[in-house]
Amino acid sequence: MSQDLRQEGSPLPEGAPALSFSNVKFYYPESQAPAVNGVSFEVRRGEFVSVIGHNGSGKSTLARLICGLLQADEGKIRVWGIDLSDADGVKEARRHTGIVFQNPDNQMVASIVEDDVAFGPENLGVEREEIGRRIEASLAAVGMSDYRHATPSRLSGGQKQRIAVAGVLAIRPDILILDESTAMLDPRGRREVIEVVGRLNREEGITVLLITHFMEEALLADRTIVMNRGEIVMQGTPEDIFHSGESLVTYNLCLPEITSMADALRERGVDTRPCLRPEELAADIAAHAAKTGRQCAVSPRISPDKGPKHGAWDIDIKDLTFTYSAKSPFASKALRGVDLHIGEGEFFGVIGHTGSGKSTLIQHLNALIKLPQANKKYRPPKLKKGQTPPVMPELRVGPYDLADKKCNFLQLRSDVGMVFQYPEYQLFAETVAEDVAFGLKNFNKDLSPEEVEERVRAAISAVGLDPDEVCDKSPFDLSGGQKRRVAIAGVIVSRPKILVLDEPAAGLDPLGKKEIMELLHALHSEWCRTVVIVSHDMDEIACNCTRACVVSDGRIAMCARPHELFARTEELRSLGLDVPLTAKVCEELKKYGMDIDCDYTPQGLVAAVSAALGGERDA
Amino acid sequence: MLNDVTFGQYYPADSFAHRLDPRLKLLLLIAYIVALFVAKTFYGLAACALFVVAAVVISRVPFGSVLRSVKGILFLLVFTALLNLFLHGGEHLLAEWGIIHIYLEGVIFAVFLMFRLIFLVLGSALLTLTTTPVSLTDGLESLLKPLTWIKFPVHALALIMSIALRFIPTLIDETNRIISAQKARGADFESGNLFKRVKAMVPILIPLLISAFRRAEELGDAMDARCYTNSPNRTKYKKLTFTWRDGVAALVGAALIAAAVLFNVYACEIFPAAYPYVVIA
Repeated sequence: MSQDLRQEGSPLPEGAPALSFSNVKFYYPESQAPAVNGVSFEVRRGEFVSVIGHNGSGKSTLARLICGLLQADEGKIRVWGIDLSDADGVKEARRHTGIVFQNPDNQMVASIVEDDVAFGPENLGVEREEIGRRIEASLAAVGMSDYRHATPSRLSGGQKQRIAVAGVLAIRPDILILDESTAMLDPRGRREVIEVVGRLNREEGITVLLITHFMEEALLADRTIVMNRGEIVMQGTPEDIFHSGESLVTYNLCLPEITSMADALRERGVDTRPCLRPEELAADIAAHAAKTGRQCAVSPRISPDKGPKHGAWDIDIKDLTFTYSAKSPFASKALRGVDLHIGEGEFFGVIGHTGSGKSTLIQHLNALIKLPQANKKYRPPKLKKGQTPPVMPELRVGPYDLADKKCNFLQLRSDVGMVFQYPEYQLFAETVAEDVAFGLKNFNKDLSPEEVEERVRAAISAVGLDPDEVCDKSPFDLSGGQKRRVAIAGVIVSRPKILVLDEPAAGLDPLGKKEIMELLHALHSEWCRTVVIVSHDMDEIACNCTRACVVSDGRIAMCARPHELFARTEELRSLGLDVPLTAKVCEELKKYGMDIDCDYTPQGLVAAVSAALGGERDA
Repeated sequence: MLNDVTFGQYYPADSFAHRLDPRLKLLLLIAYIVALFVAKTFYGLAACALFVVAAVVISRVPFGSVLRSVKGILFLLVFTALLNLFLHGGEHLLAEWGIIHIYLEGVIFAVFLMFRLIFLVLGSALLTLTTTPVSLTDGLESLLKPLTWIKFPVHALALIMSIALRFIPTLIDETNRIISAQKARGADFESGNLFKRVKAMVPILIPLLISAFRRAEELGDAMDARCYTNSPNRTKYKKLTFTWRDGVAALVGAALIAAAVLFNVYACEIFPAAYPYVVIA
C-alpha cells in the first residue's frame, strides 16, 4: 500500500523544505488591511504542523495560497521546491498538494464514491488500471474500502470527509492540507478523520498542515503556528504554545480548559504542573494526594437528583414514533418510542449522533412534524371486534395538545421558538430589521409598525448587537458570528416561552462558542422560560445544562442531571459518545483510588478535588 | 413539502433488466419508440405491448409502480383523446350535437393515440425505474462520444450532468431545512391565492440561491485543487462493459421490435377481414 500512495513525480531536492513562505502578503480586493501580512515560515518534509487562530486570522487564506487558489501580492511561496508565481508552477505544484475543505458536501463531484475518488487522477490523465489501483489504495488508507460503490449523500459527515481525503490521496500528494476539515463533524467523525490524518503522516510520511480550532487536534502536531490578524505571532511545540497562558487570550484564543483547571488547583495549594491532557492532571493530583497522605481521598457527595421540575410550560412526550418515507422502499425509522419530560425553567440538553433521531425529535416540539392523528386527513382505523386500538403517540407542550387537530399550530410556533443548525443560512431579507421582523409579522398580523420596530430593536439588543448599527445593514454584510446572532434574534422576537436550538455553537471558534453559550444563558434568565439545546459537545452540556438526555437509535438511552449522566462513562462510550474532559479526569483519578463526585463543570471538579484533599473549600 | 420526492424514480432491485448496460437500454428504448410511431395498426401496438410487458416482468418492478408513471400524463391523455374525438373526420357518423360530429374513425383514432402515449410513458418509465441516474448519465456520455468529432463538449456536458445529479439530494435536504426554519418563524406556504403563495416562496428561494452559489464556489475551488482542467488528455475510469447478458437482451429486444414493425406492415395481409377497424390511416 505504501508504494501505491507515493508520488512518482519530481523528487524534492535533499534538504529543501516541503513548503516555504517568505515575506508573503495578500490583500483581498475589497479590503484595505492585508489578510496575510508578511508571513514567513517553512515546513520540513514529513512534518506535522498545526495552525490555530481565531476566525478571520488569515489561516484559511494561507491554505488557499498554498494550493494556488489565491495569488500572493508580495513575497515568494515554494511548494515542494516549485515557485508558485506563474501559472505553470501552480499547475505543477497542485500535483504535490491536496486540500480538504470544511464542508464535505461541497467537495464531491460524483454520486458514487469510487467515481469521486477517480476524479483527481482522471484530471491528470492517469491510465485506467492505475486509477483502479489508486482508488483501492486511497480508500484503504482512509478505512473506507467497503464503501467503494456507496452514495456519498447517504454517508455520515466523518465518512464523507474521509472520502474527500481519499479523493485527494488519489492524486498522490506530498503535502496534505486540512482547512478546518473537522469543524462541521460530530466528535465521532472528527476522531475518524484525525486518526486517518495522523496515520498518513506517520506511516506514509505525508507532510501535514492542519488548520483547526480544536486544541486536542492541534496537540497531535510536531509544531504549532499561531496566527493573529494575518501574522504569525507564535511558533513552537504545541505544549509550549498552550503553556504560554495569557498571551493566547490576547490573540482571541481560549486557554485550554484543562490548563485552567490545573491553574485553579494550584491556586488552592494542590501541586499541579501546567498540563494539556487529563492523564497528566490526574497523575499530578494523585501524586499530591500521596504526598499529603490522602491516597484514597473521597470528595463530599452531591445530593441525588430530586427529579425534574414541573410548571405550566412542561413538555411531555409519550410513545413517540416516526418513520421517514413510510411505505416506500427507502423507509427508515427515526424514532422508536420516545418518552420524555422537560420541565419548565430547565436548560435541557439533547445528546446524540448524527442520525440518532434527535433532530426529528425536536422538530415535533413545534409541530414542524405533526403527530399522525393531528393531520387533517387522519381518520382512526376501523377496528374489528376484539381488536385493541393502536397506541397513539402523545405530545403536550404547555397548554397545547399536539395530538389535537384543532390545536392552534401557528400560536404554538410563536411560543416554541426553533433555531436550526447554521441558522445564518436562512437569512433572506434586505435589511437585518426586516429579517428579524419576519417571524413577528407572521405571528401577529395586526401589530403597528412602531410596535414591530420596538420589538425588533429589543430582540437585536438581546442578542448582543447594537440596533442602531446593524438594523439597516444587509444581513449578508455581517460577519459569521453576527449573522448567527441576527438569526437567533429573528426567532426570539416573538418572545417564545420555550427556545429550542439545534447545535447553536456548531462551526464557531472556541471564543465564539463561549459567547453563544453566554448569550443563551442571558436569554434563559430574561426572555424564555425553558431552553433546549442539541449538542455533540459534552463539555458544553456538562457546563450549561440542568438535565440532559441521550438519544440513541431512535430511543432515549439515558436522561439525568449531568452529574449522574457523566458518571456513567462506560455506558456513554458504548453508545459511541465522548465524555467531558472533567469526566476523563475523574476516570483517571479513580485508577489512583480517588473517588471524586462532582457536577462535571471545571469549577465543580476543582472544588471537589480540593475538598477531597482537605484544601480550602470553595464557598 | 418535499418529503415525498424520492430522488429520480429508481426502483432498487437486482434483476436481469437492472444489470443491463445502460447504453443498450437507451438504444432499445429508442428502437421501441420508433416501433411505436411506425405502428399504424392495433397489431403493431399489441406487439409493442408484448415487448413492454415482457420487460416489466423481467425487471421485477411491481406493475403498480410502472403504471403510476401514467398518472403524470393523465391530463394530457384525456385532452388529446377528446380533441381527436371531436375533430377527427370520417365516414361512419356516430353522434351529432350542433357543430360537434363524432365519427367511428375518430373514436378508433382517439383510443389508438391514447394507447400509443401510454406505452410510450411505460417504456421510458421502465428505463428510469431500472437504471440509476448515474449510470444513465454514463450511458448517455458514451453514446454521445462520436459527437466529440464535431467539437461538441461531450465530457463537459457529462460532468455537468454528474454534478447536477450529485447535488440534487443535497439541495433537497437544504430546501427542506429552510422550509422548516421559515415555518418555525410562522411562514405559511399552504394558504392564500397564487400571488400570495409565490410571494411566500421568497424566504425560501433567496437563501437557497445564496447557498447554491456558495456551494458552487467551494466546489470550483475543490475541483481546481484536484487538478481539474478541461483538457482532452483527461482519462475516464468508468468503462461500460458489454456482457453476454447484454448480447442476449440486444438480440431478443431487436427481434421483438423488428417483429413489431414487420407485423405492423404485413398485418393487413394476414388478417384482411379486420380492415378497416384496425388500421389507422
